Amino acid sequence: MTELIQIIKDIYAFFGYDLTVGLVGLVVLLAFVPLNVVFMVWFEMKVAAHITLRPAFMRVGPHGILQNLADGIKMLGKDLITPKLADKFLFWIAPIVIFVPSFVGFVVIPFSPLMQIKDLNVGILLIFSFSSLTVFSILMAGWSSNNKYSLVGAVRSVAQNVAYEIPLLLSTMSVIIMTNSFRMSDIVAAQTPVWYILYQPIAALIFVISTTAECNRSPFDLVEAESELVSGFHTEYTGIRFGMFFMAEYTNMFIAASMATVLFLGGWHGPFLPGVIWFIIKVFFLIFIIYWIRWTFPRVRFDQLMNFAWKILIPISLLNLMITAIVLKVI
Amino acid sequence: MKTSSNPFIQYILDILIGAKSLAIGMWVTARRLFKPIITVQYPYQKITMSPGFRGHIEFIRFDDTKTHHCVACGLCARTCPSHVIKLQGEKNRAGDKKVGRQYIIDFSKCSLCGLCVDVCPEQTLKFSREYELVFYQRWDTVIDIMHRLEEKQ
Repeated sequence: MTELIQIIKDIYAFFGYDLTVGLVGLVVLLAFVPLNVVFMVWFEMKVAAHITLRPAFMRVGPHGILQNLADGIKMLGKDLITPKLADKFLFWIAPIVIFVPSFVGFVVIPFSPLMQIKDLNVGILLIFSFSSLTVFSILMAGWSSNNKYSLVGAVRSVAQNVAYEIPLLLSTMSVIIMTNSFRMSDIVAAQTPVWYILYQPIAALIFVISTTAECNRSPFDLVEAESELVSGFHTEYTGIRFGMFFMAEYTNMFIAASMATVLFLGGWHGPFLPGVIWFIIKVFFLIFIIYWIRWTFPRVRFDQLMNFAWKILIPISLLNLMITAIVLKVI
Repeated sequence: MKTSSNPFIQYILDILIGAKSLAIGMWVTARRLFKPIITVQYPYQKITMSPGFRGHIEFIRFDDTKTHHCVACGLCARTCPSHVIKLQGEKNRAGDKKVGRQYIIDFSKCSLCGLCVDVCPEQTLKFSREYELVFYQRWDTVIDIMHRLEEKQ
């Protein structure tokens, strides 16, 4: 342990503050992201099973907690197959591109006042701008696979993400104009007496619905609708390439839940426990709600999906933003 | 379901009624989340079969003789539509009752119709509660139920 601290001190002396924090953060993230995904998959299976009155995996480890880790290791050993008529370069680079936004998002997430790699003054914008890359990558994967199901899934993904990004940004804006800052730590610090979910319940609801759609989670999972599109854009992917898409999907969900925590649930604030534990509890509560929704509602039809975004979510979030602006101006 | 001729009121009603039905759905699954699980961990836990379950036939052990009452009359073998049963009885001394000594069934041909159980004059046959009926070869489906009764002692 002392040797490790000495090494970190040496790196610190050589690199300076920013690079050291970046390096340590990168190492921690490289371990945290896959393990987090493993835990989230296990958690989802448990929620799903208990809703359908089953116990889910019980064999590998206590309550099957090592099952998904074993699955991940198995996935590493699988053969990587590229279809004959696929666009080789795009097919190869799509799983790499999809992992970038889910990694970059962690840079600005404030787990606690100290546990944040870089407190950018445009933190929220950074996450939004990088999360658009996910759609880009899904389109690349669907197009390059040379498979009709993949292409249909990718096209659906683009239409869906364009539609749901608008209410997402509008509901975020109603929080931003209350704090006058895109900085994550400022938004959290502004919520010391009251969480914003009490001031902005409608915005919070719209935010959660839109992020569910952005992460392609059920009931908005038309992108990978198993019953109609095999599994959408990642039909042709095998082994760890498929694993990258899978990991990115769950990590995006984690980032979406932590953004909702920062914006509406008061970030690391909470009594008795340290900030990081409160943050994780809130994030996993939101993730539980997403799972709960998934195992309750059937998948929406495509016209219902579009009508819901354009006719209901966007007008209501615009109205909400307008009322917030007027109230702030009057007070 | 309420409807309105005014399109704007209809729009608001649609949202409110939809939200209510979604909330009811969420409540249903939330309650199920805390109900006890109903499946069992099969090789470690096993459920007892109901009395109406039909496995292959086996002998009933009676308390007076501590064994079966089979007299090797052969009615079961003769009534069986698939010729599943083969049995052999013997008399120890002249004037004694005949006693079943060997009773072999070929379960691969059995259709579990239960005629043998109905026809037995001594009522010494019953359906077993055996449901783990996986065999490695055809010869394994030939079951000596007399031997089985002795093993169960």
